[in-house]
Amino acid sequence: MSIELHKISKTFGKFPAVKQADLVVQTGELVALLGPSGSGKTTILRIIAGLEFPEAGAVSFEGVDVTGISAYKRRAGFVFQSYALFNHLTIFENIAFGLRVLPRAKRPPQNEISNKVESLLDAVQLSGLGKRLPVQLSGGQRQRVAFARALAIEPRVLLLDEPFGALDAKVRKELRRWLRAFHEKTHLTTLFVTHDQDEAFEVADRVVIIDRGTVQQAGTPDEVRNQPANAFVRDFLDLS
Amino acid sequence: MAGPISMVTRHQAGRRATAESPPVKVVLIGVVLLFFGLFLAMPLVVVFHEAFKRGAAVFVSSFTDRYTMDAIRLTLIVAAIAVPLNTIFGLAAAWAITRFHFRGKTMLTSLIDLPLWVSPVIGGLIYVLLFGRQGWFGPWLQANDIRIIFAVPGIVLATTFVTFPYVARGLIPLMQAQGSAEEEAAATLGANGWQIFLRVTIPKIKWGLLYGIILCNARAMGEFGAVSVVSGHIRGKTNTMPLHIEILYNEYQFSAAFAVSSLLAILALVTLVLKSIAEWHATRQLEAGARAGEPQS
Amino acid sequence: MGYTWIYLGIIVLLPFAGLVLKTGTMGWEDFWKAVSSPQVVASYKVSFGISFLAALTNGVFGFLAAWVLVRYDFPGRKLLDAITDLPFALPTAVAGIALTALYAPNEWIGQFFSPYGIKISFTLIGVYIALTFIGLPFVVRTLQPVMADLSVEVEEASATLGAGRWQTFWRVIFPSLLPSLLTGVTLAYGRAVGEFGSVVFISGNLPFKTEITPLMIISKLESYDYNGAAAIGFVMLAASFVIVLASNALQGWDARRRGQA
Repeated sequence: MSIELHKISKTFGKFPAVKQADLVVQTGELVALLGPSGSGKTTILRIIAGLEFPEAGAVSFEGVDVTGISAYKRRAGFVFQSYALFNHLTIFENIAFGLRVLPRAKRPPQNEISNKVESLLDAVQLSGLGKRLPVQLSGGQRQRVAFARALAIEPRVLLLDEPFGALDAKVRKELRRWLRAFHEKTHLTTLFVTHDQDEAFEVADRVVIIDRGTVQQAGTPDEVRNQPANAFVRDFLDLS
Repeated sequence: MAGPISMVTRHQAGRRATAESPPVKVVLIGVVLLFFGLFLAMPLVVVFHEAFKRGAAVFVSSFTDRYTMDAIRLTLIVAAIAVPLNTIFGLAAAWAITRFHFRGKTMLTSLIDLPLWVSPVIGGLIYVLLFGRQGWFGPWLQANDIRIIFAVPGIVLATTFVTFPYVARGLIPLMQAQGSAEEEAAATLGANGWQIFLRVTIPKIKWGLLYGIILCNARAMGEFGAVSVVSGHIRGKTNTMPLHIEILYNEYQFSAAFAVSSLLAILALVTLVLKSIAEWHATRQLEAGARAGEPQS
Repeated sequence: MGYTWIYLGIIVLLPFAGLVLKTGTMGWEDFWKAVSSPQVVASYKVSFGISFLAALTNGVFGFLAAWVLVRYDFPGRKLLDAITDLPFALPTAVAGIALTALYAPNEWIGQFFSPYGIKISFTLIGVYIALTFIGLPFVVRTLQPVMADLSVEVEEASATLGAGRWQTFWRVIFPSLLPSLLTGVTLAYGRAVGEFGSVVFISGNLPFKTEITPLMIISKLESYDYNGAAAIGFVMLAASFVIVLASNALQGWDARRRGQA
């Protein structure tokens, strides 16, 4: 499932967060959206998710326009920087949430939900912790639950908003490796936002560099490093 | 590649993904407004309407009645005693609770909340049991011709009891949030206890203090249940405004009853306004303090 | 420090000790007779029962009010917010006669109901309305800070997982507000049970029908039955105590759930 953004613009009050941005994520790619704070990268991600609506431009999944479709119908898995877990539900119920809110016609029976959740818990290496509450888990564990929860709905695309930002360095490294490995296995179209260029370069197939609401450059890590498109890219990546 | 450009309207662009649809919002707001209008606003409207129903002349004449003036005077006297006493207590208690660690601190805090939980009638009952004719100190008081129950001192006691939490409760959260760093700094500069209190603490807490005093006063002037028990309802001597309103009402002097009520209603409105102002200032002060980087202990 | 304790001692502890001791000296039989006489028991049903209904009503409308005040912006919102505290600031006697005037058969609102033979003044309905009036601020003020603190992202997460607006509310938002709602309702209940001034006027004090328990205490005192008054007072005190404990327990549960214990 590919993602296409065509001339997306979004203004908050008087502040133009995104200006005529174009972006393509091919099916199965893992793309990093890299840029300084306030560059609009999170806004772009949220527009793709359906959490914000652009004033102009179009968002499509695999060529089908989804711009006007609300978040809850888009099936774009989203992982928040702050995890946004449901604190009153157990880990199991958090992950099962997306399945439980499906319309009755599509809702799977209980044992199917159970199996699915258990296998996801395994995939994120949290088996056996199903009955715990989020408040009882560490930051890294909670982030993995957030992943599992988003994956439970079999999303068409996966969107990650600075997923490792709130974690300490060691956990960040582990999760980065885990993400890369996971992507190798599943090839789910993934777009993640970060301001950490090491992270972007290490994990992503392609890097898209954003500043002040516009795309500065898009290319593989090597391309960007060796052929920076403009002064900003050079500065930002600290290339001389 | 890129699909057809879809021009999303401005209206849709402003829509948040997690908000209710406009019709739902309008209905909810409407329901709440209706409920508030019915339950809260209408009683207020009624007071003023009934007070002025028979014209301004009747309204004014309600206050020329001697007993009404006595009631107003008594209410003011009681408030003038109870509020300062409770203010001192509130300051002392808030200081003790937020600055010291001691056993029984939670008990003290719970005790302070006590009058809020207990029926005001019980607030009056306990004093009658102590000082009434059949009470513990009853015989002794009678022997010495001291009258507490069915006299002004009883009313003051009962009112003080019912309203003593308000100043403390206004101060405690504020002082806890503010921390004691400034007081400690003043101490290192050589200021003694009183100086610290007057020059450092009071200015810091003045809005919270005002808030508490305003509420305390409103309750003191308006207290009915507790005072009803201890007062004896003697016109001219032991009737406060709320009790006098009751008497007027029971005698079918409705206009007069509502006229006096309108005074208290105005007091209530003024209280609400002052309360909002004090709250606003107190929050602003806290935020300014936090912004200036003062350490919050 | 010392001042605090002395003050408390005189104003609070001594009188309460008096109440408790008085009850203690009464003897079990007398005590039981006083607190279980039919008229008193009828008053329990009114005070405790109607307060419960009023508290529930406040739960519903207080929740709506807090929601609307915190999450929506509309002309008059600040005014609505300020007026929420009216039942708290208005003297109970004033509220009492105002409500009575409002719902009397020929007046204002009462006149809409009298053609149908529905009386509000001097009935339990009137008591219910007065108690609802009294308790409203407690629910709203308890819920407002908690609602304001709700995380938007959690709601967004729920949306991305496919939950519609109602599902998000019911499965995510409401459960996290439930403890505070219960706390607020408990506070409103505690207040309503002890309420006197706002109710005695509209209730008409019909024996066995619309008498409230605080009124029973007063009538015992007026007939110099100090023992009886103390006994009923003790029961009310005990009930208040239980309500306070429940409220504190709920607040503790809430704090633990939100990871702040």
